[in-house]
Amino acid sequence: MTVDALINWFATIGDFPVLAFILAVIISGIPLFLVMALNAMIAVYVERKVSAFMMDRVGPMGQGPGLHAGKWGLLQTAADAIKLLVKEDTVPESSDKFLFKMAPYIIFIGAFLGLAAVPFSSSLQVADFNVGVFYIIAVGSIGIIGIVMAGWASNNKWSLYGAMRSAAQIISYEIPAGLSIIVPIMMAGTLNLQELIVFQSGTIWGILPNWIIFNNPFSFIAFFTFFISAVAETNRTPFDIPEAESELVAGWMTEYSGFRWAVFFLSEYANMLVVSGLAVAAFLGGWQSPIPGLFNTGLWGLFWFMGKLGFLIFVMMWFRWTFPRLRVDQLMHVCWKVLIPITMINIFGVGIWKLIFG
Amino acid sequence: MSRYFQNIYDTLSTLLTGMSITWRHMVNIKRDNVTLQYPEERWPRPERNIGFEHQNYNVIRSRLHVDIDDCIGCLKCERACPVDCIKIDTIKAPTRGEDIPNVKHTGETSNGTKKAMVVSRFTIDMSECCYCNLCTYPCPEECIFMVGGPNSSKHPIDYEFSEFERKDLIYQFAKKLSTEQKDGLQKPLPEAKA
Repeated sequence: MTVDALINWFATIGDFPVLAFILAVIISGIPLFLVMALNAMIAVYVERKVSAFMMDRVGPMGQGPGLHAGKWGLLQTAADAIKLLVKEDTVPESSDKFLFKMAPYIIFIGAFLGLAAVPFSSSLQVADFNVGVFYIIAVGSIGIIGIVMAGWASNNKWSLYGAMRSAAQIISYEIPAGLSIIVPIMMAGTLNLQELIVFQSGTIWGILPNWIIFNNPFSFIAFFTFFISAVAETNRTPFDIPEAESELVAGWMTEYSGFRWAVFFLSEYANMLVVSGLAVAAFLGGWQSPIPGLFNTGLWGLFWFMGKLGFLIFVMMWFRWTFPRLRVDQLMHVCWKVLIPITMINIFGVGIWKLIFG
Repeated sequence: MSRYFQNIYDTLSTLLTGMSITWRHMVNIKRDNVTLQYPEERWPRPERNIGFEHQNYNVIRSRLHVDIDDCIGCLKCERACPVDCIKIDTIKAPTRGEDIPNVKHTGETSNGTKKAMVVSRFTIDMSECCYCNLCTYPCPEECIFMVGGPNSSKHPIDYEFSEFERKDLIYQFAKKLSTEQKDGLQKPLPEAKA
């Protein structure tokens, strides 16, 4: 269900192009927001449980609503949300009030726009662009404006440090992310996410699904370089130096509380969804079934896409609760001296591969 | 140059080692879990030997307990309490030393003393109790005591008496009487005088 399809459908009813456009955007935007909120709710609970299990704890537990957060702590996210909403919304006296209040929404918009192009299934995609990959990479950079804005407007040294680090990090890691995503684009010859996924149908030697990650050794490496850069772009551990708790309190979020902080939180999880969605679509066959030719129709696509997405988000959590944080210089070292050369060689290698094998 | 590739290899292999460790812990959470859900699960009390049997302690300061069937309502413990955490209400029994089944009143204590009072309320606020043990000495029937220690035959020791709400720390020992039951006990009084 793309926006275009909705607009065309409205055109069959009557002639009201402007209203049809607004209606189509709103109708497709609301489920997108629901996906975002639902993803945050589930991911927060899963993250709590995963972190607890990896540390031999049990995480949020309870025997029922009331004193504890529901059976097995299932109401924990709801309790978190209520806590965040009733918290005092403080704005520091010496901050730049307008920018301070603007920043959360700019970050939110960045995450939300990226989600619009994620192909949840062959038909469930809000906007089917011809340049979907390019679009997601591009709007992924909007968030950094909000982060720098938040850090600068807070008028707080920790916030500014965090924002500067975040700017340096995201600008650096966008290069290996972009260079890695060039590999599937070179192979499929398209920037359209749906066409990219359709390119990945079929099998390799009749066993493996014909996903780009399995196609050749260069694309196999490209998936990992892309995923590492994606984790860095979402500011998650081990690349969370912008909000390094032990050094910078909470980095660029230090002065935020209540609802504004909740918006940051929502955006962080939505960003995870977007970069994982791009990784799934470009490397892991999108909504294609892992068993070639089986369960490949209709809603199964949504199931497979969500399954792969969930697995990648779980891997991000796995990273977070396993790896120690990188130092600032180590972060730059990994980006400029390791990832970028590898991705460059990858692009070259895929070019040769295409020349020789097809 | 070989150092460069060696570094990349070392990084990846150590990262995978770390991830396999956290994975093992996550999968084996049932076995490795160290958290006890306190009110539902408790730590086992360790076997210990400090040279005394529980019976041989001279005195122990723990939770107060009242054998309400032995209480004659003399109020001596209430007066002895330095923080006034014991509250007792009594109603004169119609006949001394007779059972009144509908309020679960027994006529005689285990020592054979005939009871003149029905104890309609016996509360101890354990959040106020200072564990001074002064209430146990004046009791003529030895029915108020600290659990465990020398009294462990009467009541096992209780280290943990935490509650979810503060009002639950006010221990109710006497049976709650309804207004009708209280009135029923008090009515015969003028007749007995007449």
